[in-house]
Amino acid sequence: MLVIEEKDIEKFLENLKKKYITIDVRKDVLPPKKYFFPPEETTFVFNKKTGKISTPQKPKPFILFGLNLRKTESLIQLDEIMNTPKPDYYYFQKRNVSTIISIIEEKGHIPHTGIDLILEKIGAKKYKAHSLTSKGSLISRNKFFKSDTTSKRASNKKSDTMPKLRKLLKDPEFLKDAVKWSWRNHKKIWEKLGKECLGCGICTYVCPICHCFSVEDACKLDGRTCTKTRKWTACTLPEFSKITGGHKFHQSIKERYYNWFYHKFVRAYEEFGRSQCVACGGCKKHCPASIDIENVLLEIIKNFKKSNK
Amino acid sequence: MENIYLPQQIKILDVRKLSSDVKLFRLKKFMRFIPGQFVLAGVWGYGEAPFGVASSPYKKSYIEIVVRNTGGLTTQALHNLKKGDQLTLRGPLGNGFPLEFFKDKDIVMATGGCGIPPIASLIEHIIKNRKKFGKVYLLYGAKTPTDILMKDKIKKWKDKIEVVLTIDKPAPGWKGCVGFVTELADDVDINPENTVATMCGPGPMMDALEKVLRPLGISDKRIFVSAERKMQCGVGKCQHCTTGDKYICKDGPIFNFDEIDKNWD
Repeated sequence: MLVIEEKDIEKFLENLKKKYITIDVRKDVLPPKKYFFPPEETTFVFNKKTGKISTPQKPKPFILFGLNLRKTESLIQLDEIMNTPKPDYYYFQKRNVSTIISIIEEKGHIPHTGIDLILEKIGAKKYKAHSLTSKGSLISRNKFFKSDTTSKRASNKKSDTMPKLRKLLKDPEFLKDAVKWSWRNHKKIWEKLGKECLGCGICTYVCPICHCFSVEDACKLDGRTCTKTRKWTACTLPEFSKITGGHKFHQSIKERYYNWFYHKFVRAYEEFGRSQCVACGGCKKHCPASIDIENVLLEIIKNFKKSNK
Repeated sequence: MENIYLPQQIKILDVRKLSSDVKLFRLKKFMRFIPGQFVLAGVWGYGEAPFGVASSPYKKSYIEIVVRNTGGLTTQALHNLKKGDQLTLRGPLGNGFPLEFFKDKDIVMATGGCGIPPIASLIEHIIKNRKKFGKVYLLYGAKTPTDILMKDKIKKWKDKIEVVLTIDKPAPGWKGCVGFVTELADDVDINPENTVATMCGPGPMMDALEKVLRPLGISDKRIFVSAERKMQCGVGKCQHCTTGDKYICKDGPIFNFDEIDKNWD
């Protein structure tokens, strides 16, 4: 097997940067989805004079470097979502030219597909290279990676973010039942959250899987071209369900916040057989009202179990 | 890779005013569709919005959509278009009515106001295949007599199916029904065990359901609703049009009432 010493990782990164467009995501606040599904992107430009519709040019190949386990898992999940029922043109235009290098220091399953190269921490100062694609093999064929037969898997890995939620996610069917049950049977918690939540949408922006969007049309001031722009939106924002004429399907923050949970834990299960959450803790970390979804789910489950007795 | 968001440029063959705020657009046909399916029509710079196709699926040269000017950006921009202009179109989208299931059954169609377009298309299909269906009723409610849309078509339909028109409040000169009232059910002669119903349109439809369709003995599984939500992508990704676990754009817009009745919206 190939290993890389911890001290060589930064050198490896510098080397990559010399050869390729390489983005180090380790200190990013926004999740890696932003590189494929940016907060705002022009999808069409219409030239009124010629009647020609143009789409953005194919981007240049690039490398994303340093996704941790949660970010890695979220990207694999988002790939699946964006491919269903048909591939999202703009997402895959960028995703198809990207190379993903993950650095996994946490405990958990190492993905076997969907990522190009994974550096898994196996000892105090060593990382094992898993090349899952030919692109992955190519970039790990250099002086920083050495053959090593002596290293054993070490257990000195970082502990997890939201470990209890992590465990809950292993039974997405149960989570679905509990969340669905709670709307009518444990109203108290949604009343409380409806008062706490500020409806700002930050949780959805920092969520590595949330993918709601709106499309905005605009005309350039010279009147020659019109554009369509796809923008992130959040199901917790008041306009999200508003239709022409003014009716809103989700009137209150309580309903909108529950809708966020409903999508993640109920509809996601029905559609994909899993929850759209990787317990990365991003929503809790950035919530201005300090809402902790791990605690919310634990409370729902405690009451759900009690009611089933 | 196919760009699933790419609209087509379609020429407007004709525009007709149906009421003070409703216009019908006849567009060059570029697709086959099933009654109940919809298109996303729009104007560059002003967005797009969903419209059920209103014309007969058998018309070879055109499709028609009906647009109410709600005061919103898109519908206003559409209302400014004239014959010969182009608009953007994506579709057909969604599932459409389960026409095979409707075959050899009595049909009651309850609709209100601007909910008539997909029903109009369904009626055209029924009339073209009249012998394949039993008794067919259209119960159509509008705010005032002038808000009843497609009057010329209704006149023609009356020869082939039963049409009951009703308005929300009594109006001078109006001799027909007022509201979706229980008495309407008395005039509907169907075999409830072999009937399907459709519902489309705004709020008063719940009256139609409670006071007419259910009392007639039609089960919720056999009542097909054309559902409406905010729509952006039209292809099941953006999450705006969900109802429960379903997407109006790809799983609907036609659902049996039982499927969406108790859903989380």
